[in-house]
Amino acid sequence: MSDAVPGKHWQAKDGLHIDTRGLDPPDPMVAILWHLEQPGQNGPVTVHLNRNPIHLFPELIERGWLYEVQHHDSGEVTLSLRSAP
Amino acid sequence: MSSAFLGGARDRLLPVSIPFRFFVSAALFHLAAWGVLLLEADQLGGFTGGPGPILAATHLATLGVFAMTAIGASYQLLPVVTRRPLARDWPTRLSFWLLSPGICLLAWGMDRSSPGAMQTGAALVCSGLTVFAMLTADNLRRAGSVAVVAAHGWAALLALVGLAVLGMLLVWDFQTGFLDDHAGLAVIHMVLASYGFMGLLVAGFSLVLVPMFALSRSLPQRPGWAQLVLAGVSLASFACGRWTGNTAFNWLALLAGFGAAGTYLWLMRAAMARRMRKRLGLSFVLIRASWGLLGISLILGAALLADLPIPNAPALFGFLLLAGWLSTFLMGILQRIMPFLASMHASGKSGLPPPPSDLTPQTPLKIHAFCHFGALACCAAGIIMETTALIRLGAVFGCVGALAFVGFALIVLLRLRAFQQGS
Repeated sequence: MSDAVPGKHWQAKDGLHIDTRGLDPPDPMVAILWHLEQPGQNGPVTVHLNRNPIHLFPELIERGWLYEVQHHDSGEVTLSLRSAP
Repeated sequence: MSSAFLGGARDRLLPVSIPFRFFVSAALFHLAAWGVLLLEADQLGGFTGGPGPILAATHLATLGVFAMTAIGASYQLLPVVTRRPLARDWPTRLSFWLLSPGICLLAWGMDRSSPGAMQTGAALVCSGLTVFAMLTADNLRRAGSVAVVAAHGWAALLALVGLAVLGMLLVWDFQTGFLDDHAGLAVIHMVLASYGFMGLLVAGFSLVLVPMFALSRSLPQRPGWAQLVLAGVSLASFACGRWTGNTAFNWLALLAGFGAAGTYLWLMRAAMARRMRKRLGLSFVLIRASWGLLGISLILGAALLADLPIPNAPALFGFLLLAGWLSTFLMGILQRIMPFLASMHASGKSGLPPPPSDLTPQTPLKIHAFCHFGALACCAAGIIMETTALIRLGAVFGCVGALAFVGFALIVLLRLRAFQQGS
């Protein structure tokens, strides 16, 4: 991908965090998959979104990633990702 | 805060039966359209309008395939894109049960030149389209993001209102003959349906769907707005030109149409150039071919306007516009979204949904693609050379391809059911 990866990301003690809040589709999906496809990335990865990324889930399964979805009262969503054993 | 392990994907998803009933019907109407053409191949070359089997086949394609696909996809995708769920499910089912018998009756009436069947069918179809328009308008009204996609949706609905009103007038005119310029209004109806309603939906959804499938960053908004304005100018100018008889409007329409299509193709090229997914598969062979066919349809439109001596130009234009651009694009999109949606609805014994590739039977898709392109080439050549045998051969290809696509849709459904029953 020639352009900068959309959204923000940082490394924390519990793994990589990706923040795609405020992005329009399909940028959140593109950003998340770009990070997951980096060499050596096996998770855990935490993703902060402002929508439930339902079109992302088949792509995660196709790539062998497991996901856990947390819905917040604010409408935001947190995804916890780890690669399947 | 709620939590769902390996779940949550079903939020904002309609029951799977709703989009799939539209998609499976589209596959069946696709087969019916090619079937009618196969039986009445000798009538295609000289077709310039009027009741009969070619008009019936045209509406089996436009309403049965294109509108059914667009409506099923809109019900499923718009709430996701706009982040506003549909207020209720039952009107989506109602629209299906108005549309599907309505399309059958309308097409049968057109084939048999039966005013009563055409009028009843048209009334049912318009009722179904009204339910769709109201649901979509309600969703677009509450949309908070992707304004350019929502604006394409509004413009498509406006075109839908125009084409539906004209369609009703044209159907009633077959019996009463009250219209002064039936042929002129029929052309406006066709352009509003193809480049207007369907074209604007295709252009709007492409801004999200094509980057999503290709894994490319979201496309810039300004060219998206330019594409919409140019398309609007083109459609309005064309209607004015046909209405007033002033050819300057027609040339303006063509120029703006080329501008809109050029902007759209530039955006699609940008999505392809920036994509992360390198292997796009067979669906994108169809989608890319459809982009070329869009350009060819406009060039043929220009040739028609300039009165260039192309044999059977009106029939060729209509065929490449409908069977070429729109059908090729929508079949490409359908074969991509059906397994994708099925995956989102399915879950196996492990709790994991199956990957879309496990739900995608490749052989029927290969047969369909081969036959679809064969059908386009043979029918187009047959129209130009006025050779019924070539058109019939093309229709045979079309039928085999459509049958393969029905097989694909059924296999996806069976695999989905197998996964659901296994969980």
